[in-house]
Amino acid sequence: MTTNIQPNEVLAKAETLRGNLSTGFRDEIVKSLYTEAENIARRAVKTAKDKKYDLDQRIDRLVTSPIVGLPIMVVLLSIIIWLTVSGANVASDAIANILFAFGDWGNALFSSLNIPWWITGFIWDGVYRGLAWVISVMLPPMAIFFPAFTILEDLGYLPRVAFNLDWLYRKAGAHGKQSLTMAMGFGCNAAGVVATRIIDSPRERLIAILTNNFVPCNGRFPTLIMLAAVFVAASFPPALTSLIAASTVVGVVLIGVFFTLLMSWLLSKTVLKGEASAFTLELPPYRRPNISRILYTSLIDRTIFVLWRAMQTAAPAGALIWILANVPFGTSNLAAAIADWLNPFGLLLGLDGVIILAYIIAIPANEIVVPTMMMVYMGAGMMIDGPSTTDAIHSLLVGAHGWTMLTAVNLMLFALLHNPCATTIMTIYKETKSLKWATISVVITLGTAFLVTFLTATIARSLGWA
Amino acid sequence: MTPSLLLLIALAIVIFVPRYGILSLYKDWRVARQREQVEDALKHLLDRESQGRHASPESLAGTLDLHRVKVTRLIADMESQNLLETRGSELHLTVEGERWALHVVRAHRLWERYLVDEARMPLKNIHKEAHHREHNLTDAQLDELDAALGHPTRDPHGDPIPTREGKMPSVQSMPVTAWQVEGLARIVHIEDEPAIAYEQILAAGLRLGQVIRIIEKTSQRFVLSDGEHEYRLAPTVAANISVAPLPESVVARARAVSLAELTYNQRAEIVTLDDAVQGFTRRRFLDLGLTPGTLIYPELQNFFGDPRAYRVRGTLIALRKDQASQIWVKPVN
Repeated sequence: MTTNIQPNEVLAKAETLRGNLSTGFRDEIVKSLYTEAENIARRAVKTAKDKKYDLDQRIDRLVTSPIVGLPIMVVLLSIIIWLTVSGANVASDAIANILFAFGDWGNALFSSLNIPWWITGFIWDGVYRGLAWVISVMLPPMAIFFPAFTILEDLGYLPRVAFNLDWLYRKAGAHGKQSLTMAMGFGCNAAGVVATRIIDSPRERLIAILTNNFVPCNGRFPTLIMLAAVFVAASFPPALTSLIAASTVVGVVLIGVFFTLLMSWLLSKTVLKGEASAFTLELPPYRRPNISRILYTSLIDRTIFVLWRAMQTAAPAGALIWILANVPFGTSNLAAAIADWLNPFGLLLGLDGVIILAYIIAIPANEIVVPTMMMVYMGAGMMIDGPSTTDAIHSLLVGAHGWTMLTAVNLMLFALLHNPCATTIMTIYKETKSLKWATISVVITLGTAFLVTFLTATIARSLGWA
Repeated sequence: MTPSLLLLIALAIVIFVPRYGILSLYKDWRVARQREQVEDALKHLLDRESQGRHASPESLAGTLDLHRVKVTRLIADMESQNLLETRGSELHLTVEGERWALHVVRAHRLWERYLVDEARMPLKNIHKEAHHREHNLTDAQLDELDAALGHPTRDPHGDPIPTREGKMPSVQSMPVTAWQVEGLARIVHIEDEPAIAYEQILAAGLRLGQVIRIIEKTSQRFVLSDGEHEYRLAPTVAANISVAPLPESVVARARAVSLAELTYNQRAEIVTLDDAVQGFTRRRFLDLGLTPGTLIYPELQNFFGDPRAYRVRGTLIALRKDQASQIWVKPVN
């Protein structure tokens, strides 16, 4: 016997039956699903006494123990950053040599074809040089940092870091996994912002996105290292210089971590009010890293992805820099004139006009801050490396352009705290799908940078230190 | 044309242009404001009627914080819309008025559910937020919200949510001050007004669904216990807590402890997830396999004791103390 049941009747019946459901019926459904799954697993899976399980437990106890756990974390992060910085130096020079040699060749070719100097300059000294610079400075550190970081991720070590550090983030109203997105930020803040997808609650994820920029990415490391070497380490005996320079950079990084936590706390007390919610963190078993997967995720997903976005913004920036340096204005060029005009504002922050100009031009990529500064200071027509010895840099900055210790300290602070680069802002916009949060990310970082540098400058001056 | 004439014309456009002019925006704002007032008045009347008494112009003026003259005008307005009737000094809801009032209450309580379950706002902030959002919603929009939340029957304070047809499910409860001194009771409602008393109750650590017993009852103070902690409250504050006799399922839980209290490697079986955990968090717990009857034990501790990692179904899952204390377990050997 068949009966004709209309869909509407089924719905209506369901509607009336719903009232009789007990409150826990959803729990019961999930419970029955798990019971069924367990039955299937019991029939299909054979378990032997698991030696690996004991080993996992032993490693876990070691890496989360108070005496050994914290040092392991610090040592691993230091090794990765050291590998990145020192390894990248060599590779960057090699890539730069090749790319710039090609640029010189192109330049010569255009000249021999009698193409006007300004077309040659614009294309080869502007657009091409901007691209070449960003690729040579950005590619090697990312190609080292991301695979190294991904090995730790694949091993299963990273969730243990989040587990160890969660208490800090809980106090700041944030999620323990934010420590991982911050560590990713050392490689590149844009990648750090993308990495916040691992945080499943929206409020804590937004906090992680907005504060990621307080971790200096490796595009900002050269600036910090140059300043540490020229201004801090130079006053110590030569044997200690590299150690002092490294500790200075570590100190700056710690200030960045402090600001990240402070800003997370402030955000969760104001704009993003709420309790830290639904913290769950899976600690997967340790695994042997899968090399091909590591290379794929770190090089294709992360390095190439970031590099491509950076190149899109570096080419126009290169063009702009060349125009500023080559359009005459008064006795000098446009860049010098704008720097002069910005100078009072720069001095107010303990910096100078050239630094402010360099940071405005360098919004697309932080890697070009130092070459742009050197270009204006040395009156060159394109981005250049500074003098090759620390003494020469010192005499250029202090002797010829009136830098003081305050300028160096404030530049380090400004490099640490200032607005995200264009790539990161674009990524924040894509991840949050909101113009509002992208704008806020710029306002809070730039606001902090202005406030902190203004305060240190004012305090240092009123105490007669500078 | 002189510049001042131009300025005058520009000003006139800004003020008088239909829809987007200042005047028209002001009118919209006035209409919305009046609607809010009417709806708040309706809620007050419904609230009074559910307590078996009737509202008066004075009580209405007090609740809405309005001047007497304005209240009189509001009452006249609502009477002309056939929402209420005055009988002497008493205000009575009409059938139409009650239907509308229940609609607003439904909106308010569904919003509160949403804010706690999905937006995961702290309990003490939700009343204000829901109050802002309860107006200007159609029945269809409410149905959508209702379905998205999985047709909840109670708001986070334990109050019943009216059905679409305007029926209010009844709860049998009494203020804890009227509960017999011996015997376990379950907190089914914590009144969120006045806010000061509500915050005191939350600050004391009492929460919805908790099983309590009265251990001391004097005119000075009330001492409640959940078998673990003691909670001291002034009787006037305690009167804001409503309790009901314990259902069977909860009697079992009374002997359970929270997951956060287990010692290292102490094996236990999950009894139930706390009633206060709903929405996103509950789904997350269930997804991770934290279902009733599952074996679980703490295996790994952070240096500061929080969070801890628990072994469950062969995987290791870290939970903060706040989360672990929402999971009830029964130690086993």
